[in-house]
Amino acid sequence: MIHRGEDVIIRTIARMLIPFIQLYALYVIMHGHYSPGGGFQGGVILGASLVLLLLTYGYHDARSRISEKIMIIFSSLGVLIYAGIGFLCLLLLGNFLDYSMLSRILHVDAAHARSLGILGVEIGVGFAVMAVMVSIFLDISTGGVLPGDEEEKEKQVPVSEV
Amino acid sequence: MEKFFLAVALGICFLVLLVLYRVVFGPGVFNRVAAISAVGTKTLIILLIVGFLYRRVDMFVDISIVYALLNFIGCIAVAKYLEMEQ
Amino acid sequence: MEVTLLVQAADESFAILEKARVRAVDLMNTAAKLTSETRWMEEKKVRAIFRGAQETRAGLQNFAVTFVILFLFWALLSGKYDAFHLSLGVICCGIVAYLGHDLLFYNVRAGDMRVIAGRFLIYIPWLFYQIVLSNFHVARLVLSPKLPIDPKLMRYKTKLESDTSMVTLANSITLTPGTITIAIENGEFVVHALSRKVADDLNAGDMEDRIAHIFMEADHIYIQDVLDVARIFAALR
Repeated sequence: MIHRGEDVIIRTIARMLIPFIQLYALYVIMHGHYSPGGGFQGGVILGASLVLLLLTYGYHDARSRISEKIMIIFSSLGVLIYAGIGFLCLLLLGNFLDYSMLSRILHVDAAHARSLGILGVEIGVGFAVMAVMVSIFLDISTGGVLPGDEEEKEKQVPVSEV
Repeated sequence: MEKFFLAVALGICFLVLLVLYRVVFGPGVFNRVAAISAVGTKTLIILLIVGFLYRRVDMFVDISIVYALLNFIGCIAVAKYLEMEQ
Repeated sequence: MEVTLLVQAADESFAILEKARVRAVDLMNTAAKLTSETRWMEEKKVRAIFRGAQETRAGLQNFAVTFVILFLFWALLSGKYDAFHLSLGVICCGIVAYLGHDLLFYNVRAGDMRVIAGRFLIYIPWLFYQIVLSNFHVARLVLSPKLPIDPKLMRYKTKLESDTSMVTLANSITLTPGTITIAIENGEFVVHALSRKVADDLNAGDMEDRIAHIFMEADHIYIQDVLDVARIFAALR
């Protein structure tokens, strides 16, 4: 399912649409406090755009953008941002995820500090959800063995029995 | 004005029921996929009209754009899967 | 003595044939190498789409134009124009344009974007006019009681070269009611047309000429035409 498609129309349309889909996903994340959206919804749309890239161009060509390593880094980065902001508030002598304590380092009033804190954790959630979506899609569609991994498996020397 | 839009929404719901006939009875899976994609198009219009009736169109426009994107991507995914099956 | 002359002549002709055979095998090998090289170059071009800025020229201009278009899109979506949201917009557009700047405009020569955009804007009202005309025609066909349709599947070759122009033509054909593009296989369009009049409109090639004019494609002489003319000329002499 993640082999390169042969149809010109779908490939061209997909490659033109993908920056707009990604920008729309970032818009949904950033305006979570004002219109329906937030971290999880934006992350799903971002993941959907990368799934579209994989479907139309195949794993072999899209590997430099959406390899497993990059996805693992992004999911961990998302959780790190979320927990990091929480611990930062703890270090500033508040409770865990008490965003008003951020007003000490950012020099804004408490309401703005809460708004910025929520924006920060939403960005973390967005990264994590995008990475998990693409990882789940890759696992389900290939059954766990990616097209580039077969050569690496052959190179491993089996342990000999005594 | 609101009654007019309500009547239009009910008319489009009736058209969705007509297309659902193809989803249920369509001989083969390709008819069903095309019919579901058509139902998605009409769902967009119904969402926008509901947004107008609740007087918060700006919120429902965001949701409509997301649903249009997901409909498109879902249609391509199902088509790719069916092509692979053969 | 004639026999030896005959044997010598046979030997020499065999030698010539052998040399010709060796040259033919060489030519075939070069041709195979060239086709595998062109295939490798095409793969390299495709891989270049996904490997960032280094391998395509005018990378910075692609990035700038993509950034401007995306920022206009962001300003359209977000109704708030204060400094905080606009700076967020600049950061988001910067990230997306950096990661995908070679996706939107692939292989466009650097000076031509303005001309192509201008011609495309002029093409759109003509397309609307064609859509309105086709709407009337198909409505008249469908609403008449004996349904005079004549559906057939047509294939024809196009003179368009690049991906973008072929996709524009396919979308324009699908948008006008009565015709649907089914696939593009090896530069050949497969189109389903509903009636005789619509098929004739398509065969006349008016839409294709206009799209070739937009993307500045069919302006030069084709080598194959020159070769055909030369061969006819040589045969006539």
